[in-house]
Amino acid sequence: MGDADLGEQIRERIVEAHHWGRGLRIVAGGTRERPGRRVAGEELSLGAHRGILEWEPSELVLRARAGTPVLEIEAALATERQMLGFEPPRAAETATIGGAVATAQSGPRRPFAGAARDFVLGVGCIDGTGQRLGFGGRVIKNVAGYDISRLMCGAHGTLGVLLDVAIRLLPVPECEQSLVRECEPLQAMQIMNSLRSRPLPLSGAAWEAGLLRLRLEGAESAVSRAARELGGDAEADARWWQELRDQRLPFFRDARSLWRVALPPTAAPLALDAAELIDWCGAQRWLSGDVDATLVRARAAQLGGHATLCRGATDDPFHPLAPGMLALQQRLKRVFDPRRVLNPGRLYREL
Amino acid sequence: MDTPSPEQPPAAVADAATLCRELRALLPPGAVLSSPSELAPYECDGLSAYRQRPLAVVIPRCVEEVQAVLRLCSARGVPVVARGAGTGLSGGALPHAAGVLLVMARFDRILSVDPAACTARVQPGVRNLAISEAAAPHGLYYAPDPSSQIACSIGGNVAENAGGVHCLKYGLTVHNVLAAEILLMNGERLTLGGEGPDSPGYDLLALLCGSEGLLGVIVEVTVRLLARPPCARLLLATFDSPVRAGAAVASIIAAGIVPAGLEMMDGLAIRAAEAFAHAGYPTDAAALLLCELDGTEEECTGQLMRVESLLRAGGATELRVAADEAERLRLWSGRKSAFPAVGRLAPDYYCMDGSIPRSRLGDVLERIAVLSSEYGLPVANVFHAGDGNLHPLILYDAGKPGELQRTEELGEKILAFCVEVGGTITGEHGVGVEKLGAMCLQFGAAELERFHAVKEAFDPAGLLNPGKAVPTLARCAEGRRMHVHGGELPFPGIERF
Amino acid sequence: MHTTLADFIATTAAGEEASEILRKCVHCGFCNATCPTYRLLGDELDGPRGRIYQIKEMLEGAEPAASVLQHLDRCLGCRACETTCPSGVEYGKLLDTGRELAEQRVQRGRWSQLQRRVLRWMFPFPLRIAPWLRLAMRVRPLLPRVLAAHVPPVLTPPGAWPEARHARRMVALAGCVQSVATPATSAAAARVLDRSGISLVTAPAAGCCGALSHHLAAREEGLDFARRNIDAWIPLLEAGAEAVVASASGCGLHLRDYGRLLASDAAYAEKAARVSAAVRDLTEVVPLPAAGASPQRLRVAVHTPCTLQHGQHLGGRVEALLRATGCELLPVADAGTCCGSAGSYSLLQSELSSQLGDARARALQAGAPDVVVTANVGCQLQLAGRCTAPVRHWIEVLDEATRVL
Repeated sequence: MGDADLGEQIRERIVEAHHWGRGLRIVAGGTRERPGRRVAGEELSLGAHRGILEWEPSELVLRARAGTPVLEIEAALATERQMLGFEPPRAAETATIGGAVATAQSGPRRPFAGAARDFVLGVGCIDGTGQRLGFGGRVIKNVAGYDISRLMCGAHGTLGVLLDVAIRLLPVPECEQSLVRECEPLQAMQIMNSLRSRPLPLSGAAWEAGLLRLRLEGAESAVSRAARELGGDAEADARWWQELRDQRLPFFRDARSLWRVALPPTAAPLALDAAELIDWCGAQRWLSGDVDATLVRARAAQLGGHATLCRGATDDPFHPLAPGMLALQQRLKRVFDPRRVLNPGRLYREL
Repeated sequence: MDTPSPEQPPAAVADAATLCRELRALLPPGAVLSSPSELAPYECDGLSAYRQRPLAVVIPRCVEEVQAVLRLCSARGVPVVARGAGTGLSGGALPHAAGVLLVMARFDRILSVDPAACTARVQPGVRNLAISEAAAPHGLYYAPDPSSQIACSIGGNVAENAGGVHCLKYGLTVHNVLAAEILLMNGERLTLGGEGPDSPGYDLLALLCGSEGLLGVIVEVTVRLLARPPCARLLLATFDSPVRAGAAVASIIAAGIVPAGLEMMDGLAIRAAEAFAHAGYPTDAAALLLCELDGTEEECTGQLMRVESLLRAGGATELRVAADEAERLRLWSGRKSAFPAVGRLAPDYYCMDGSIPRSRLGDVLERIAVLSSEYGLPVANVFHAGDGNLHPLILYDAGKPGELQRTEELGEKILAFCVEVGGTITGEHGVGVEKLGAMCLQFGAAELERFHAVKEAFDPAGLLNPGKAVPTLARCAEGRRMHVHGGELPFPGIERF
Repeated sequence: MHTTLADFIATTAAGEEASEILRKCVHCGFCNATCPTYRLLGDELDGPRGRIYQIKEMLEGAEPAASVLQHLDRCLGCRACETTCPSGVEYGKLLDTGRELAEQRVQRGRWSQLQRRVLRWMFPFPLRIAPWLRLAMRVRPLLPRVLAAHVPPVLTPPGAWPEARHARRMVALAGCVQSVATPATSAAAARVLDRSGISLVTAPAAGCCGALSHHLAAREEGLDFARRNIDAWIPLLEAGAEAVVASASGCGLHLRDYGRLLASDAAYAEKAARVSAAVRDLTEVVPLPAAGASPQRLRVAVHTPCTLQHGQHLGGRVEALLRATGCELLPVADAGTCCGSAGSYSLLQSELSSQLGDARARALQAGAPDVVVTANVGCQLQLAGRCTAPVRHWIEVLDEATRVL
């Protein structure tokens, strides 16, 4: 599929929807509808709005249309040994950069390099009234005006339909090494806690099914030295990390009901009756199994975090907001989408 | 010189005496200041060109007192401007003539440092450097390091999304803050973010960072701490022209090297900094680069060699690697004190903060040089070259009639050029009152309207730091500065002084 | 900062000096970070930047309120701000001008006036201090803590003062409070210098350096003390004495200022300049001892007086001297911070002074030192009442460590 600018068509659709007060269900690659509430409304597709707009390798900055597939961008970046630092998951080839930003999804590198929002420099978008808006820019430091581009990140399109995003890039590290060792979750947590305060070239720390894996990346000398210090077996095949990133490990594939629990990284194991995968050096725990929603949420809240049901039957996948917070977020929604046209109810019934 | 504060909406002018009496009833003795001699030193922050005395200054010690002040002011329709250490460079903490200045300096306790989670929970008045000092025994530090880090407070850092010399690699404040407790203008307390990696709903923490005190009053901050890299090597390179130094910067980034810091100073700034810090800078150089590489011993050594050869190829006239930690700190001390040190060169300086794509560094520096000679005003350049954040310092004498106006005009031309090449009017200092006019260069009416509406969502009555950060549409229209093309601007110059 | 001086002062020497200093200030606020009172009180009015502003307002003709006097009184004069200031603002000089102006414009309360008069009457004169000190030591347990903290529990006997046997001579400032409260200091200095071939002599006619009066805005009284000392020392300097040595850094700093303070006094300007040029702190004249002399490898925490580090820029010397004798130097947090003694400050601003003294004592004792040393009598007395470890002048420790040689 070739590059195309559908900005004007998209804008017209939104203007019309705004006029009639009709909801629009925003779709691009179609890979990120979950987690999310079901949206009643006509489909507004961004899949064909694609293409890299700006990319100057010496700037380490890329600007692309929202419908551009992540894989296409990554293939281009690889030619100059650059990459997307937040490793957005690619559940399918169609997964887009706009979707990754809108849903704020980040891969295993997140605790070491930053989340999607940390790499977003600017966005072009259309709000719920059909107004084209530009926030942020394509420079690394920019504090002019409120940081609306980062607000859009993770808003699931409910504040504006992203047309293009400017993203900061990272150079691809010289070399990569995966280490694996057998251990119980409690011991894995202890190791992760001890790693955090050490200056190591880490880019991944995860535990699944009795195996703790550490990914090291950087200069060859630094990586090999760290590998010696950390011990464990070298894992020749780095595919596990890619499958973790894309949520294609059997753990995810087989899950009938899948919870994502975001916690303070030192929080104790969840100890719920479900299979657990620990990522982000302890800060992201995946649960696979039929666990009572109330129980998961209560446990997450007790540990200082929140839980999202990513797969499984529910009306409310996201952690409920306190009344004051919800009211504030409703007021923000009204700023950008007064008639609730954009993905109405996708995050919360009230938004 | 009492400067009428720009664009402050008419607030119900409360009877000052009544208000002070009510405030005194809420706060302990010594926490309310209202006499002219007490108000004068509070009339400006780090940008003393803008001054305005508030109705009263309050210096509370606990959150309940802040809440009480906000509730009273909400009820009376009195504007409130929060202030930390008062080191800001854009007039963000300039008081409101009819308002209360809320000083958070007494919130200076570090509440906890968690070495396992690598976090610190602190009150907003804690100094940036004090966090790193408290974390040091655990081998940790707080990464954002604005030049004013010895004095500036974390609450102000969050409000301004402060940067620093190491944010090329370690990010700005927004990347290093995990949570903030804020009070809305009505006194309601909210927690934004948390100790986990993210929070449900909209990312209001990101929105808070850099919101310049217009959305809420920050009463507690949780920051992320990093492991101090075991090795840091600092390389000093001199060039015979700033343009050549700019090209060398681009070549380092293009090579896939992300230095911890990459700073540049031109001849004027080099000499001023040297005179204060005796850092050992060669004072005859036209441009100086400081490039810091950090990480493990191996990483540093490898990168150092690559950077050295890139700089040599880029025409460096002198290359020097700091021999030891003492020399490294000494070389940095010159850079960190460069702004105030330039204060020695002229009675006044005007600090700009444009940010540009790195590849346009050379063009912009050339343009600044041309404009500088056109206006007959010397410009010293001190900036974060690695991330394209420029700090041209225009030297002037406010005592000479008309010189401030010409300085501002020159400043605006420089910013217009930054926007033209794809950059921004402020990289880290914030808009405050100082860059309200320049905001019209960067944003159209639609964006500005949304900004105002976002504020309204947090602060419906518009009482928190009103008139800052976002210009009114009327102002932009009046200046006819909206949507400028080609960098040539009409300068009718709205009365700002 | 742009300043327009009011007519009354614009053309005076003090006005020109103040204007020059104010021009350098860019209002960056770095100074507040290291100001002890700002860090305690969190009020701009009690930090250097705010005090400069209050002084600027007076210089520009504003009528100062009583609060201005209060905020200037609260300044310790430690000059940590000068060390921090990247623009080279000479705050200390501006403060002198500001205090004098405030004193003229603001009516001081009766009690405050009386306190100051008593201090000026008593402390410069050893014969007046001595009986009070003896009495205070006897009733020390009965005194309120604020007062007790200033009274040494015991006086270290001074020991022998060696004969003036060397050709090389230096003049000691015997001082006022030091000669009574810590008599061991000068004698130890004399012994250490004697061992390095220098005889330390005193001039009986000399007395208080005048700093106390000066900082209480009794400028003329302070100058009279200066003139008396100059008259006593000039003959000795003419007879070949190499230096005027101060073992109390606070006094030394003031002696260095004689030249500037008496510059407009035709009869004394030249002599004052000569004396100032000859002033040395004890750290400058004691040679580095041969390594490893200390018999029992003392663990030492050093409190460097502000007058030494911020005033005379001689920080680090005491450490170097003690390290050379084999002492172990313990790290001390916030080493640039004042102990709150600051001359008469400890009596006039006892609450703030106590807080600062307690904080400093905690920091100094964090590493469990065998001894705390300092270089100024005021600091020594301030800390002695608050530390469990003995607090001594560094020269005493050095004297004992090098005596075995």
